[in-house]
Amino acid sequence: MKNPLLNLQPSSTFSFVRGMSQRRSIRFTSEGTRFLLFTFGIGLAAINTGNNLFYLLLAMMLSLIMISGLLSEYCLRRLEFHRHVPDLIMANEPTTLTLSVANRNRYLPSLSLRLLDVAEGQDIDRGLSIPFLPPQSSVLLSYPLLATKRGWILFEGVRAQTRFPFGLFLKKGFYPSEARLLVSPSIKPLTLRFVDELVSEGQGHSLPRRGQGSQLYNLRLYQPGDDSRTIHWMTTARTSQLIVRETEAEDQRRITVVFSVLASEAREALFERSVTFVASLLWQLTDRAYPVRLIVGTEDSGLGSGFAHLLAMLHLLALCERQPPDTNGIVAPAERRSPLNHGGERGYTVAIVPWSDHAIPIVQADRVLHAKQLEELTHDF
Amino acid sequence: MTFDQAFALSSILLATTAFGGLLLAQSVPLWLALPTIIILIVSLLHAGGVRVVRRATAQVTLSPTLWNVLLISTFLTCLIDLTVVSRDFLPAGIHFLVMLMGIKLLTLQQRRDHRHLYAISLMAILAAAALTTDAWYVPIFLLYLLAAVWTLLLYHLTQETDETPAVVPPMSSAASQTAFPHHITQRFFWLTNATAVLTVVLTLAIFFLIPRIGAGVLQKTSGEALRTTGFSDRVDLGTIGSVKQDPQIVMRVELADQPAVEKDHLYLRGLAYDQYNGRSWSYSETRRHPLSLVADGTFLARPTRSRLPHNSSAVAHQDILLEALDTAVLFAAPFAELVSGELLAIQTDAMSGLHLPSPPSSRILYSVTSHAPQLAADERTAPILAYPDSIRSHYLQVPAGSQQISDLAHHIIRQATTPFGQTLAIQRHLLENYGYSLEAGTATLSHPLEEFLFVRKTGYCEHYATAMVVMLRTVGIPARLVTGFLATEWNEYGSYFTVRQRDAHAWVEVYFPRSGWITMDPTPTLIATAAASRWESLGRLGESIRLQWDRLFVRYSAKDQLAVVHGVQEGSDALRGKMSRWVTSMRDSINRVFSRLAYIARTFQPGMQELVMGAMVVGLAFLLLMLRDRLGLWATTHLPISVPQFAIVQLYTRMLRTMERRGMRKTPAATPREYAQLVEQQWRAAGPMVADVTDLYQRGRFSRAPLTPDELSHAAELVRRLQSLTQPAR
Repeated sequence: MKNPLLNLQPSSTFSFVRGMSQRRSIRFTSEGTRFLLFTFGIGLAAINTGNNLFYLLLAMMLSLIMISGLLSEYCLRRLEFHRHVPDLIMANEPTTLTLSVANRNRYLPSLSLRLLDVAEGQDIDRGLSIPFLPPQSSVLLSYPLLATKRGWILFEGVRAQTRFPFGLFLKKGFYPSEARLLVSPSIKPLTLRFVDELVSEGQGHSLPRRGQGSQLYNLRLYQPGDDSRTIHWMTTARTSQLIVRETEAEDQRRITVVFSVLASEAREALFERSVTFVASLLWQLTDRAYPVRLIVGTEDSGLGSGFAHLLAMLHLLALCERQPPDTNGIVAPAERRSPLNHGGERGYTVAIVPWSDHAIPIVQADRVLHAKQLEELTHDF
Repeated sequence: MTFDQAFALSSILLATTAFGGLLLAQSVPLWLALPTIIILIVSLLHAGGVRVVRRATAQVTLSPTLWNVLLISTFLTCLIDLTVVSRDFLPAGIHFLVMLMGIKLLTLQQRRDHRHLYAISLMAILAAAALTTDAWYVPIFLLYLLAAVWTLLLYHLTQETDETPAVVPPMSSAASQTAFPHHITQRFFWLTNATAVLTVVLTLAIFFLIPRIGAGVLQKTSGEALRTTGFSDRVDLGTIGSVKQDPQIVMRVELADQPAVEKDHLYLRGLAYDQYNGRSWSYSETRRHPLSLVADGTFLARPTRSRLPHNSSAVAHQDILLEALDTAVLFAAPFAELVSGELLAIQTDAMSGLHLPSPPSSRILYSVTSHAPQLAADERTAPILAYPDSIRSHYLQVPAGSQQISDLAHHIIRQATTPFGQTLAIQRHLLENYGYSLEAGTATLSHPLEEFLFVRKTGYCEHYATAMVVMLRTVGIPARLVTGFLATEWNEYGSYFTVRQRDAHAWVEVYFPRSGWITMDPTPTLIATAAASRWESLGRLGESIRLQWDRLFVRYSAKDQLAVVHGVQEGSDALRGKMSRWVTSMRDSINRVFSRLAYIARTFQPGMQELVMGAMVVGLAFLLLMLRDRLGLWATTHLPISVPQFAIVQLYTRMLRTMERRGMRKTPAATPREYAQLVEQQWRAAGPMVADVTDLYQRGRFSRAPLTPDELSHAAELVRRLQSLTQPAR
């Protein structure tokens, strides 16, 4: 029968070999180097003298090296890794990630394993080690992760390394286990005065409308399908007609936060602090149960409230990227296409414009926070 | 035993084994061996946890300065040893190594100290290998390997245990780590020993496969040559007697695959002597000429054509492993024709003696093909033999004043009519009328032969052979004395003769013009040795092992590697040929059977052939259908299945099928548990089995822990029992 490897195209063979070399690597430890030097010396003595007992010792040394390679391979073979990551984490907030490791070997345990995270092409030592993993068993490891930057973290896999059995070699094996973890900007405390001021300014933008709430909005005749609990019995008795009570929706204090992603490279730091500021503001507003809408560049979260909506907005902030302003004007085309400028239900609008030192009328907003104000608000971040 | 304790013990055992190697190689003097042994014992007891020793050693504290001073003084001692005492690098180096080992054992605390000790041990076992080729190295080497595997493994594991807490931050996996056992468990013990066994196997494989490139730049021989007597230019009568009690092994002679050769004795010819002066033997022709090389390492000692055409002779092929001797003589069964081995040159003398240019400094292995001439039938009965002048001039010499001996000889042969008869008469006379005794030291006598023949009438081989040669010569029959060895110690385990110093022997070669030199031995056979005891048998077994060790390991060479390769090649060719013949014969047999069946079918009824074929196919299919479940069961339990989950699902499906045949079908809506309950209600006998299988099925299918092989076997057994239940539930 023809060897299946021969059927592969050269490029496939090359990629196969390359893949194998990426998955396994081996290097000598300091003890291994000394051992190899001794082996080399004995080999030289054997060749020089022709003494077969030297050859026997040389064979012993070589067999120890081979056994070392063989057993370390068995340690790394048939390991399975599964990573459990949360949907979203905050920057600079320690988070616990878990990694489940299973040894699918039927008979042999895996020993002296050290695990490294492979993220963005780099091996990161998180101090994970498994001294002994019996055959057909698994273990759940947890470790803290402190992300310092917002955005995606791409975990490519896990690199397991072992020096078992004799500590002569460090054998590494790569196990692809891709996972993406989104890091939102960190949440910082904002001055209460600023938030209260913002909220009180927004009161004027409340619009009474029917909806879920406790305040009376309207009384009307009962219609089939209406909830019988909403019947206003006093009026019904008075008018001899089934009258139902309608309540006023409590979302009248709507706030729209517009975040301009334009900023020159010199203001990169301020831009990042502004992102953190926006995230913190959204957190505060959500905490106070305001319906909030976030517009970041061309992205619009829509109006909403609650924790799920906050996560959606943080998602937008986590992925927003700074765009340099064009050379002639100040406003980038993307900014002009902002959904905000296309109208819609806006409520009280706060614009955060880190690229400008002055309020620019290009963004229609009730309140514009420009670079200078942002510097003041975020200098403690 | 804890890991740390085992680690300390194995480290010291490693050093002990290496030191044992040096000790057995007799390279450590007593003044050094004794303190080292004491240190080793104390270290072993300390590592073994003996409290008294631990308490005592804890009280003794020496400052690092003192240790440094000790090290420097050791080095100075080594220098003095090298320049004044030993005056050789190897012994001085070994002494230094042993002293260092002692100091290291006393200061064994840090991991660095352990590494140093391992390096010293390795050097020591290497030095032992340089000093010996004896078979005792085998157990030492195996012990060293076992200790090395344990030590290296424990070194690594204890290091890992030390390092791990420093690396793992408190919040990571400390709580969820799978802890390594801190004690030597039974499983660990056997796994480590299995690793050691695997290492031994691999070591042997590598040893035999590794190419032998002997540059020999620093090659050094060792060991003293064995002193022999009887193989010099002049041999005084009675000198062989001095070694007749010496049991030292001189050589081993292997006679592989030669049933024709007698296994009770073998003459190994050394030198022949033609001149006797009344006290000692010598040879007149001292010139030697080199043997011609006919092939790589093969010398032609005596051309085959030199044998007389009508002379029948017995061929003996010998592989001889000769110890280092103080003589350059090569021994072989008479008469050597081809000699091969790793020998640079071989010389031969006028009387077919083989010589090396110089005495070998180490063991040598060579092969000889010999042809022992047999006496021609016509020469047995010929009344007169015509001897060539060259023979007459050399081999009829007798010392002056041998009249008394001549008279005796003529008296002995008075009734013999042929030279052969006369020879036999003299031999018989010596065999029957003289006693064998090693007490007859005659080396200092002026007329030793007369003393033997007429006064003491006891002697040993030299006396007998000399008497026979002189008597033959006095009656005109050319003869000469030959010294060598008479091998009688046959080793049945290794199929070879062990030849010792005490086997040194002298015998006679009598010349017959057509047959050549015929070996004759007038020395009476020694009293048969007592029945071999068990110890002697064991001794021979040990001796055989020693030879195999020497053959397979010490003398293993590139030629042997080539021979193995050729052997494998020939073996595979032979196997292929055999397989091919077997397949052909099987095919022919099957064809014959089918032809016969077809013939019967054709003659019985036309069309019967097709009918038989169809019936066979149907029968086979039916058989497979019948055995489907059994085959499946067998496959489930015996064949390796990577996922035990799959195996239990198979078994459960099989159980459902079995139950369905018994009229208890599982409806799709019923859960496995409900179905088991239904069976429990309707068929009490099968209920528990179905419940058990269901339980295992659910565990195997939905639990994280996979089923063990025992549980799978149990499930298979339950299904098998269900299949054997005959009473359907109604």
